[in-house]
Amino acid sequence: MEWITGETVSILLFFIGLFGVVGRRNIIKTVVSIGIMETAIILFFLTIQGEGERVPPIVPLVGETVADPLPQALMITAIVIGVAVTAVSLTMFISLYHKYGTTNWHKVEVKRREQDT
Amino acid sequence: MIALYAFVLLPILSATLLYLAGGKHGKHAALLVQSLAAGGSVWNFLQVKAHGPVVEVLGSWEQSVGIALRADLFSLVMVMLTAFLFLGMLLFNYNSYYVDKLFLFLLLVLQALVMGIFLSNDLFNIFVLVEVSTIVVSILIMFKKDSRSIYDGMVYLLVNILAMTFFLFGTAFMYKIFGSLDLYTIRSRMHLIQNPATLILPYSFLITAVGLKSALMPLFSWLPKAHGTPSAPSVVSAILSGLYVKGGIYLFIRIQEVFQGTMDTQGFFLGMGIVTGVVGFFLAISQTDIKLLLAYSTISQIGLIMVGVSQPDGTAYWGGVYHIINHAVFKSALFLGAGMVVEEYGTRNLLEIRGVWKRMPLVAVTSILAILGITGAPLFNGSISKYLIQSGMGGGLLEAAIIGINLGTVVAFWKYANMFWSPKPQRRVRTDPFRNAVLAVLGVACFTGGIWGAGFIGFFFNHRILIDGGAYGQKALVYVGSLLAGLLLYRKVVVPSKFLSQVRKFELDFNNIALTITVFFGMITTYLALKYM
Repeated sequence: MEWITGETVSILLFFIGLFGVVGRRNIIKTVVSIGIMETAIILFFLTIQGEGERVPPIVPLVGETVADPLPQALMITAIVIGVAVTAVSLTMFISLYHKYGTTNWHKVEVKRREQDT
Repeated sequence: MIALYAFVLLPILSATLLYLAGGKHGKHAALLVQSLAAGGSVWNFLQVKAHGPVVEVLGSWEQSVGIALRADLFSLVMVMLTAFLFLGMLLFNYNSYYVDKLFLFLLLVLQALVMGIFLSNDLFNIFVLVEVSTIVVSILIMFKKDSRSIYDGMVYLLVNILAMTFFLFGTAFMYKIFGSLDLYTIRSRMHLIQNPATLILPYSFLITAVGLKSALMPLFSWLPKAHGTPSAPSVVSAILSGLYVKGGIYLFIRIQEVFQGTMDTQGFFLGMGIVTGVVGFFLAISQTDIKLLLAYSTISQIGLIMVGVSQPDGTAYWGGVYHIINHAVFKSALFLGAGMVVEEYGTRNLLEIRGVWKRMPLVAVTSILAILGITGAPLFNGSISKYLIQSGMGGGLLEAAIIGINLGTVVAFWKYANMFWSPKPQRRVRTDPFRNAVLAVLGVACFTGGIWGAGFIGFFFNHRILIDGGAYGQKALVYVGSLLAGLLLYRKVVVPSKFLSQVRKFELDFNNIALTITVFFGMITTYLALKYM
């Protein structure tokens, strides 16, 4: 079971999320799937930091295994942005739902076209 | 030299303060901030032109660790373009009813973010800037709260967020391989890569996101929704189409620079550029909505730019880069003019608008100048960039393809130009003086950009361009020919055609747009895998 590393799992998770975006018509599921993809990236970033004999880039420590702090700092930012994006898309979804009364991308499109003409 | 971070920080801070303070003079304060940014960008440009590129690392870390901002001639030209366009847009809207403190806030923040994208030299920083600007843009798209807008805004937001997750994943791979996020550090370590196959995945992830941002062939479906939506004020459309989409092209150029020599995709993107150009003008011709026609013609021009910039060594590249600037000028003139026409006539249907020439003479004149620019009429700015792109192709089929794309553009704008004339007498309307001034400046810029084209390229990029009089004259003849052919095609083929109204109905829903992203990713990965594995 050596191939189950953070890296392979995150690549798998990313594409599971992508499948959710492409294959599901439910708008909520789209937002959730994008969340899954972001989680996959966070996992990837956090597992690439502890490999082998990396030299810590900021403080010159020798002889100690140190986790690279940069990915962690980046991922805090990424998580914050992810939260903001989810909040904005859910807010938009609420007004979309009030307008069209459905959670289905396809039905929204059809209704929009009917209203247009 | 003014500190580079000021260009990002100053507009955002002042936007926040203005929003909190409110008051009558917010507009004037915003104008002041924008003038400062414009002046500062010119000053920095002159400094860099005299002393060479500047790198600024925030937090005084080493360059490979900290966030680096880098200013060279190209990025500063883009920053100047941003500063002046945003200033022009705010002046244009000086007397508009919808300029409230929220609009000013969003506009200034967007300006700061776009400048940040042009100056940033750090992959993760670019990700953050693009992601935040996506949210700002999606709010601006829905600004007038029109009925269609929520759907348009939501599709725009989710599609772009999806693409940026690709970008972030690519960034993660790059960090794993190179141990740095700084583009120039990565570039200097590129020669250490022994097996280019390890770069296929990160490159494909990054370039898929960048391809979507710059609206390449299968990935453009979000663009007309965003740029042509009824709810966006015309200045927002002008900024998005004139400038914001160029952010994608800019990132494309930067990323191609980093991978140059290791990942060779010139042929791929040359082909994609031509396909994008052809599909873009087909869709543009089929539209009857004035804003959508302009939005689809942007896609076609993006194709042309892509043809140019995908060939980094040669005259075509400079043509592409110059076309980025030219397109910003004439497309914003067209969008602003179209916005005024829509306000006056109360309809967006091109078949119903007639007699703009008599009713709004200045709008008509500047629009015609811009049309001459976009179709590449001799002596106008588009002709110089198109001439350079064309002559870089070295004749043959490729050159014919470029002439074909231009012919398509001509046909689309014959359709557009129909709105100028009318047999009925029209009353003349008074238009706002600020709007007139901005339109006039943009219109004149289309002309000066043509006359001093070679001089401008020399001044902005320190690159000497030789324009061969004979070949240029020949291109002028081709232009006159395609003008006539375009009129003939429009009258005889486009007007009676039923096929085009079918094309108009063609629209992808969200799942299919996501599918196109996946397909593009698969395409580029397969292409590279066949090449390098």
